[in-house]
Amino acid sequence: MALGAQASPEALGARRPFIVAAREALMGEEPDGAARYFLYSAAFWLLLPGLAGLALAVLLYAPAAQELIPLGLRGPLGFGRLRPMHVNVLLFGWLSMVYVGSMLFITTRLTGSPLYSERLARVTLVVWNLAMLAATISLPLGITQGREYSEMGWGIDLLLVVGYATLAVNIWGTVRRRRHPKLYVSLWNFMAASLIGALVYAIGNKVWDPSGAYVGMTDAIMSYFYVHNIFNVWFTTGGLGLALYLLPKLAGRPLFSHRLAIWGFTSVWTGQHHLLYGPGPEWLEILSVAFSILTAVPNTAFLINVVKTMEGSWGRLRQDIALRFLVAGCLFYAFTCLQGISQSIRTFSAFIHFTNWVIGHSHLAFVADYSFFGFALSYALLPRLLGREIASQRLASWHFWLVFVGILVFMVSLWVGGWMQAVSWQSGARFIESVQLLKPYFLLRLVAGGVVGVGVLAFVVNVALTARAPRLTMAPATPSAGVA
Amino acid sequence: MPPHVPEWGPSRLAALSLLMLALGLVATVWLPGLEGEQPSALAANYTSAELRGRAIFQREGCWYCHTQQVRAPEVGRGTIDRPGDIGPESAPGDYARQQPVFWGTERQGPDLSHVASRAAGGNRAWQLVHLRSPSQVRPGSTMPSYAHLPDDELEALVDYLLTLK
Ligand code: HEC
Repeated sequence: MALGAQASPEALGARRPFIVAAREALMGEEPDGAARYFLYSAAFWLLLPGLAGLALAVLLYAPAAQELIPLGLRGPLGFGRLRPMHVNVLLFGWLSMVYVGSMLFITTRLTGSPLYSERLARVTLVVWNLAMLAATISLPLGITQGREYSEMGWGIDLLLVVGYATLAVNIWGTVRRRRHPKLYVSLWNFMAASLIGALVYAIGNKVWDPSGAYVGMTDAIMSYFYVHNIFNVWFTTGGLGLALYLLPKLAGRPLFSHRLAIWGFTSVWTGQHHLLYGPGPEWLEILSVAFSILTAVPNTAFLINVVKTMEGSWGRLRQDIALRFLVAGCLFYAFTCLQGISQSIRTFSAFIHFTNWVIGHSHLAFVADYSFFGFALSYALLPRLLGREIASQRLASWHFWLVFVGILVFMVSLWVGGWMQAVSWQSGARFIESVQLLKPYFLLRLVAGGVVGVGVLAFVVNVALTARAPRLTMAPATPSAGVA
Repeated sequence: MPPHVPEWGPSRLAALSLLMLALGLVATVWLPGLEGEQPSALAANYTSAELRGRAIFQREGCWYCHTQQVRAPEVGRGTIDRPGDIGPESAPGDYARQQPVFWGTERQGPDLSHVASRAAGGNRAWQLVHLRSPSQVRPGSTMPSYAHLPDDELEALVDYLLTLK
């Protein structure tokens, strides 16, 4: 069951000058190096955008807090500038980098072949980090394309397209050289996620045009095509591929049904339900509702697989924090799908859309589902990459409970607040009343967000401690072959 | 356990994924785009000052808190100050000259599609005071103050807001 681990000079606890370490990270060829640095980078890119999230919660609850900011910084630290930094760096920094690092690692294990090109993977690592550095600086400066999830400027788009494309080359190249003839389902997901992810990103961001935006209705339709399909193709297809690899490993049981898992191979069709009751064509709305409902099929298949694979292994949740994060993430995921389908029903959408309910929904998807996968992957793979245990089990356990309880309270406060907001709008009350009634929910969300923040800090500290700890045991340096 | 689907290799998978993407693009982007719309009476022909204001609106992220999309069920009912003053349903042609469009997804603040047709929103002086100090004219407002923006930028912003009839 061993995933195999690599010995690295750094893992041996040797301290090297920073410049040497940096050169090794950028240009080294040591196997699994890129995967490891991707996981480190991911944890790093949680910090600033996470802090920005807290600042946003403060500003929504108490806009007067703005006056505490020095005048010169009020622009860059304003709500409308921090929000895109919060969203983009968490999605394309933290989450995507955990995905990339894990995909690089897992692909070699599932194919039984070394990575197609470790050098190329370092290129992916460099462009991705550069993109995030540029995003963290440029978005607060107000350099934005003004479209959700595609705010990052043209140069950053180009970097990320190179990032996705080089990742795709590495995954497909490694698969072509595979030693195991059959493809485990996770590889399907990685291949599709990297290739189609690159294309969806490029088309959605209109990378051939520096303005990054289309005109009129085309822009609206394209923007929502992009938003939902980068979500489906990259975050969902990629995330489920990762979960389907990790779950059997950690549960110590084979995947219940590979055939069912194949059903989870999702389509790119469900993006248009944002257009409900909007000015788009009627038939498009009906089509999109139909496809949203159809997503129930792969989601149910996934849930059955999770529960059946876990059968008899539930006890492991007590010891194994990676498994705990993974299973919690899977259950949240099932709930996300239910909620998503309900939101695509026209009458409910008419009621709930534009309220804070929807903000709750996106935090459910990105924090409770995919970030939980990300935490699970970090805790499960870092020990394999470094050949040593996670530095502190206690810290990891605190991390789990703080984030779990925090995000639950966070979401419930937004769901209830959003519902009340919708009721107020329906009643024909003046708009300002709906603004006022949100106050207590925003306070609760702020406190809960703070709790999540402490948990996340515990995670980052733990990763840093693990990265620096001296190595304890020697693990085999060859990729051990195969799946469960 | 039978962990593998036998006959599927990378090339078939590539073909299938690309086909799904192409179908998705055709069905949800290209076909709807064919219905191409003429600018409606509400589609402003922006002056350069209004375009500058629009760029500031984009830069400051006003569109994270404000939608510009009135949906059929709320017509005659959606209330900002007076019953139904959210305005008429948005039509595709309203957006014909916009790049990008600011549809938005959240309403921390009111929909702005027709803000200039409301009593307060159509008033230039009110808009300027409101941008500098929202709670002064809207007690209880949680909108941030934009007093830190230079005067000419605030003027441009209001030029743009007044196009939202
Ligand atoms: C954090 C959320 C937020 C941001 C960002 C924001 N607003 Fe607001 N806005 C509100 C809220 C809440 C209200 C309702 C209370 C009020 O009228 O002040 C509002 C009201 C308004 C109104 C009055 C609408 C009406 O019909 O009465 C206008 C105009 C407006 N905002 C313009 C802007 C502009 C321009 C920007 C960017 C420079 C902006 N807003 C940024 C939250 C926000």
